[in-house]
Amino acid sequence: MNPKALTRAAAVTIALIALATISSELSGAFKGLLSSIGGHHWIGKSVLSVVFFGLLYLGFSKLGDDQLSLRDTSWLIGTVVLSGLAILIFYVLHA
Amino acid sequence: MGNPLILMHATVAEIGLFAFLWVLVELLNPTETRIRRAKIAALIGVVCLITAWFAGGFYYVEVYGSQIKPAIKASDAKWVHSIVMEVKEHIFLFLPILAMLTAGLLHKYDKDLIKNRDAQVTVVLLAGLIFLLGFSLAGMGAIIASGYRFALEAGLV
Repeated sequence: MNPKALTRAAAVTIALIALATISSELSGAFKGLLSSIGGHHWIGKSVLSVVFFGLLYLGFSKLGDDQLSLRDTSWLIGTVVLSGLAILIFYVLHA
Repeated sequence: MGNPLILMHATVAEIGLFAFLWVLVELLNPTETRIRRAKIAALIGVVCLITAWFAGGFYYVEVYGSQIKPAIKASDAKWVHSIVMEVKEHIFLFLPILAMLTAGLLHKYDKDLIKNRDAQVTVVLLAGLIFLLGFSLAGMGAIIASGYRFALEAGLV
Protein backbone atom coordinates (compact mmCIF):
# COMPACT_ATOMS: atom_id res chain seq x y z
CA MET A 1 0.00 0.00 0.00
CA ASN A 2 1.22 3.49 -0.90
CA PRO A 3 0.39 5.84 2.04
CA LYS A 4 1.13 9.04 0.12
CA ALA A 5 -1.18 7.97 -2.72
CA LEU A 6 -3.91 7.02 -0.24
CA THR A 7 -3.66 10.40 1.52
CA ARG A 8 -3.73 12.31 -1.77
CA ALA A 9 -6.67 10.21 -3.00
CA ALA A 10 -8.58 11.04 0.19
CA ALA A 11 -7.90 14.78 -0.19
CA VAL A 12 -9.01 14.91 -3.83
CA THR A 13 -12.06 12.72 -3.15
CA ILE A 14 -13.20 15.04 -0.34
CA ALA A 15 -12.73 18.09 -2.57
CA LEU A 16 -14.75 16.32 -5.29
CA ILE A 17 -17.56 15.56 -2.80
CA ALA A 18 -17.78 19.29 -2.01
CA LEU A 19 -17.67 20.18 -5.70
CA ALA A 20 -20.35 17.61 -6.58
CA THR A 21 -22.53 18.81 -3.67
CA ILE A 22 -22.47 22.44 -4.79
CA SER A 23 -22.69 21.60 -8.51
CA SER A 24 -25.71 19.38 -7.98
CA GLU A 25 -27.57 22.26 -6.31
CA LEU A 26 -26.70 24.63 -9.15
CA SER A 27 -27.43 22.21 -11.99
CA GLY A 28 -30.62 20.20 -12.11
CA ALA A 29 -29.18 18.08 -14.92
CA PHE A 30 -26.16 17.11 -12.80
CA LYS A 31 -28.42 16.33 -9.83
CA GLY A 32 -30.50 14.15 -12.14
CA LEU A 33 -27.38 12.38 -13.33
CA LEU A 34 -26.34 11.66 -9.72
CA SER A 35 -29.87 10.44 -8.93
CA SER A 36 -29.73 8.05 -11.88
CA ILE A 37 -26.83 6.18 -10.22
CA GLY A 38 -28.79 4.93 -7.21
CA GLY A 39 -32.23 6.51 -7.26
CA HIS A 40 -31.21 9.50 -5.09
CA HIS A 41 -28.54 12.15 -5.56
CA TRP A 42 -27.02 11.41 -2.12
CA ILE A 43 -26.63 7.72 -3.02
CA GLY A 44 -25.01 8.82 -6.29
CA LYS A 45 -22.51 10.96 -4.38
CA SER A 46 -21.85 8.12 -1.92
CA VAL A 47 -21.16 5.60 -4.69
CA LEU A 48 -19.00 8.05 -6.65
CA SER A 49 -16.96 8.97 -3.55
CA VAL A 50 -15.95 5.32 -3.07
CA VAL A 51 -15.30 4.78 -6.80
CA PHE A 52 -13.18 7.97 -7.07
CA PHE A 53 -11.27 7.15 -3.88
CA GLY A 54 -10.29 3.79 -5.39
CA LEU A 55 -9.50 5.13 -8.86
CA LEU A 56 -7.53 8.12 -7.54
CA TYR A 57 -5.53 5.81 -5.29
CA LEU A 58 -4.61 3.65 -8.28
CA GLY A 59 -3.70 6.78 -10.26
CA PHE A 60 -1.57 8.38 -7.53
CA SER A 61 0.12 5.02 -6.85
CA LYS A 62 1.58 5.13 -10.35
CA LEU A 63 3.55 8.27 -9.43
CA GLY A 64 5.90 6.04 -7.46
CA ASP A 65 6.57 8.33 -4.50
CA ASP A 66 5.33 6.60 -1.33
CA GLN A 67 6.96 8.71 1.43
CA LEU A 68 4.17 10.29 3.45
CA SER A 69 5.12 13.67 4.92
CA LEU A 70 3.39 16.13 7.22
CA ARG A 71 3.01 18.35 4.17
CA ASP A 72 0.63 15.75 2.66
CA THR A 73 -1.24 15.58 5.97
CA SER A 74 -1.53 19.38 6.09
CA TRP A 75 -2.93 19.41 2.55
CA LEU A 76 -5.48 16.78 3.49
CA ILE A 77 -6.62 18.53 6.67
CA GLY A 78 -6.73 21.87 4.83
CA THR A 79 -8.87 20.25 2.13
CA VAL A 80 -11.28 18.82 4.73
CA VAL A 81 -11.66 22.20 6.47
CA LEU A 82 -12.07 24.21 3.24
CA SER A 83 -14.46 21.67 1.68
CA GLY A 84 -16.57 21.62 4.84
CA LEU A 85 -16.64 25.42 4.98
CA ALA A 86 -17.53 25.63 1.28
CA ILE A 87 -20.53 23.33 1.81
CA LEU A 88 -21.61 25.24 4.94
CA ILE A 89 -21.29 28.69 3.36
CA PHE A 90 -23.06 27.52 0.19
CA TYR A 91 -26.12 26.25 2.07
CA VAL A 92 -26.24 29.29 4.39
CA LEU A 93 -26.27 31.59 1.35
CA HIS A 94 -28.83 29.46 -0.53
CA ALA A 95 -31.21 28.72 2.37
CA MET B 1 -40.85 5.75 19.68
CA GLY B 2 -38.15 6.81 17.24
CA ASN B 3 -37.31 4.84 14.11
CA PRO B 4 -34.83 2.04 15.01
CA LEU B 5 -32.73 2.93 11.95
CA ILE B 6 -31.93 6.40 13.28
CA LEU B 7 -31.15 4.93 16.70
CA MET B 8 -28.79 2.45 15.03
CA HIS B 9 -27.23 5.22 12.91
CA ALA B 10 -26.52 7.43 15.93
CA THR B 11 -25.33 4.58 18.16
CA VAL B 12 -22.86 2.95 15.76
CA ALA B 13 -21.60 6.34 14.59
CA GLU B 14 -20.80 7.39 18.16
CA ILE B 15 -19.12 4.04 18.90
CA GLY B 16 -17.07 4.57 15.72
CA LEU B 17 -16.08 8.09 16.75
CA PHE B 18 -15.00 6.95 20.23
CA ALA B 19 -13.00 4.15 18.54
CA PHE B 20 -11.00 6.86 16.73
CA LEU B 21 -10.54 8.76 20.00
CA TRP B 22 -9.14 5.47 21.31
CA VAL B 23 -6.76 5.35 18.31
CA LEU B 24 -5.62 8.90 19.10
CA VAL B 25 -4.89 8.09 22.74
CA GLU B 26 -2.99 4.89 21.90
CA LEU B 27 -0.84 6.67 19.31
CA LEU B 28 0.18 9.62 21.51
CA ASN B 29 3.07 7.52 22.82
CA PRO B 30 3.10 4.39 20.66
CA THR B 31 4.45 1.02 21.72
CA GLU B 32 3.92 -2.34 20.01
CA THR B 33 1.05 -3.17 22.39
CA ARG B 34 -0.61 0.23 21.91
CA ILE B 35 -0.31 -0.01 18.12
CA ARG B 36 -1.92 -3.45 18.21
CA ARG B 37 -4.83 -2.02 20.23
CA ALA B 38 -5.04 1.03 17.93
CA LYS B 39 -5.39 -1.26 14.89
CA ILE B 40 -8.31 -3.06 16.56
CA ALA B 41 -9.90 0.29 17.48
CA ALA B 42 -9.49 1.62 13.93
CA LEU B 43 -11.09 -1.53 12.51
CA ILE B 44 -14.04 -1.11 14.90
CA GLY B 45 -14.23 2.54 13.89
CA VAL B 46 -14.30 1.81 10.16
CA VAL B 47 -16.93 -0.93 10.51
CA CYS B 48 -19.11 1.30 12.73
CA LEU B 49 -18.88 4.36 10.47
CA ILE B 50 -19.67 2.32 7.35
CA THR B 51 -22.63 0.74 9.18
CA ALA B 52 -23.76 4.25 10.22
CA TRP B 53 -23.42 5.32 6.56
CA PHE B 54 -25.78 2.55 5.40
CA ALA B 55 -28.25 2.87 8.29
CA GLY B 56 -28.37 6.67 8.09
CA GLY B 57 -28.50 6.62 4.31
CA PHE B 58 -31.37 4.15 4.20
CA TYR B 59 -33.27 6.20 6.81
CA TYR B 60 -32.54 9.45 4.96
CA VAL B 61 -33.74 8.16 1.60
CA GLU B 62 -36.69 6.06 2.77
CA VAL B 63 -38.03 7.88 5.85
CA TYR B 64 -36.58 11.36 6.30
CA GLY B 65 -37.47 12.61 2.82
CA SER B 66 -41.12 11.56 3.00
CA GLN B 67 -41.93 12.12 6.71
CA ILE B 68 -39.47 14.39 8.52
CA LYS B 69 -38.35 16.82 5.82
CA PRO B 70 -41.89 17.99 4.82
CA ALA B 71 -42.77 18.70 8.48
CA ILE B 72 -39.56 20.65 9.14
CA LYS B 73 -39.91 22.61 5.89
CA ALA B 74 -43.50 23.53 6.76
CA SER B 75 -42.41 24.97 10.11
CA ASP B 76 -40.73 28.25 11.06
CA ALA B 77 -37.51 26.26 11.50
CA LYS B 78 -37.17 25.29 7.82
CA TRP B 79 -33.47 26.30 8.04
CA VAL B 80 -32.99 23.10 10.04
CA HIS B 81 -33.41 21.18 6.79
CA SER B 82 -32.11 23.70 4.25
CA ILE B 83 -28.88 24.36 6.15
CA VAL B 84 -28.25 21.86 8.96
CA MET B 85 -29.45 18.65 7.28
CA GLU B 86 -27.96 19.55 3.91
CA VAL B 87 -24.57 20.28 5.51
CA LYS B 88 -24.71 17.15 7.69
CA GLU B 89 -25.64 14.70 4.95
CA HIS B 90 -22.80 15.90 2.71
CA ILE B 91 -20.00 16.42 5.23
CA PHE B 92 -20.79 12.95 6.60
CA LEU B 93 -19.41 11.54 3.34
CA PHE B 94 -15.93 12.72 4.40
CA LEU B 95 -15.91 10.44 7.46
CA PRO B 96 -15.76 6.95 5.88
CA ILE B 97 -12.97 8.16 3.55
CA LEU B 98 -10.95 9.57 6.47
CA ALA B 99 -11.65 6.45 8.56
CA MET B 100 -10.47 4.06 5.80
CA LEU B 101 -7.37 6.22 5.27
CA THR B 102 -6.51 6.25 9.00
CA ALA B 103 -6.99 2.48 9.34
CA GLY B 104 -4.95 1.94 6.17
CA LEU B 105 -2.05 4.05 7.47
CA LEU B 106 -2.08 2.19 10.79
CA HIS B 107 -1.87 -1.18 9.04
CA LYS B 108 0.77 0.05 6.58
CA TYR B 109 3.13 1.58 9.14
CA ASP B 110 2.35 -0.79 12.03
CA LYS B 111 5.42 -0.93 14.33
CA ASP B 112 7.17 1.77 12.25
CA LEU B 113 4.82 4.24 13.95
CA ILE B 114 7.17 4.08 16.96
CA LYS B 115 10.02 5.72 15.04
CA ASN B 116 8.29 7.37 12.05
CA ARG B 117 7.15 10.65 13.61
CA ASP B 118 5.43 12.01 10.47
CA ALA B 119 3.27 8.88 10.20
CA GLN B 120 2.50 8.88 13.94
CA VAL B 121 1.50 12.58 13.93
CA THR B 122 -0.60 12.01 10.79
CA VAL B 123 -2.58 9.18 12.40
CA VAL B 124 -3.08 11.20 15.61
CA LEU B 125 -4.27 14.27 13.67
CA LEU B 126 -6.61 12.24 11.45
CA ALA B 127 -8.11 10.36 14.40
CA GLY B 128 -8.68 13.69 16.17
CA LEU B 129 -10.19 15.20 13.03
CA ILE B 130 -12.61 12.25 12.65
CA PHE B 131 -13.66 12.60 16.30
CA LEU B 132 -14.22 16.38 16.14
CA LEU B 133 -15.90 16.34 12.72
CA GLY B 134 -18.08 13.40 13.72
CA PHE B 135 -19.29 14.98 16.94
CA SER B 136 -20.02 18.25 15.10
CA LEU B 137 -22.30 16.16 12.88
CA ALA B 138 -23.83 14.49 15.95
CA GLY B 139 -24.66 17.97 17.25
CA MET B 140 -26.33 18.75 13.92
CA GLY B 141 -28.33 15.52 14.32
CA ALA B 142 -29.58 16.80 17.68
CA ILE B 143 -30.63 20.11 16.04
CA ILE B 144 -32.52 18.19 13.32
CA ALA B 145 -34.33 16.11 15.97
CA SER B 146 -35.25 19.35 17.77
CA GLY B 147 -36.49 20.85 14.50
CA TYR B 148 -38.80 17.88 13.97
CA ARG B 149 -40.01 18.11 17.58
CA PHE B 150 -40.71 21.81 17.00
CA ALA B 151 -42.77 20.92 13.93
CA LEU B 152 -44.67 18.25 15.92
CA GLU B 153 -45.46 20.72 18.71
CA ALA B 154 -46.67 23.24 16.13
CA GLY B 155 -49.14 20.60 14.93
CA LEU B 156 -47.60 20.36 11.46
CA VAL B 157 -47.58 16.55 11.42
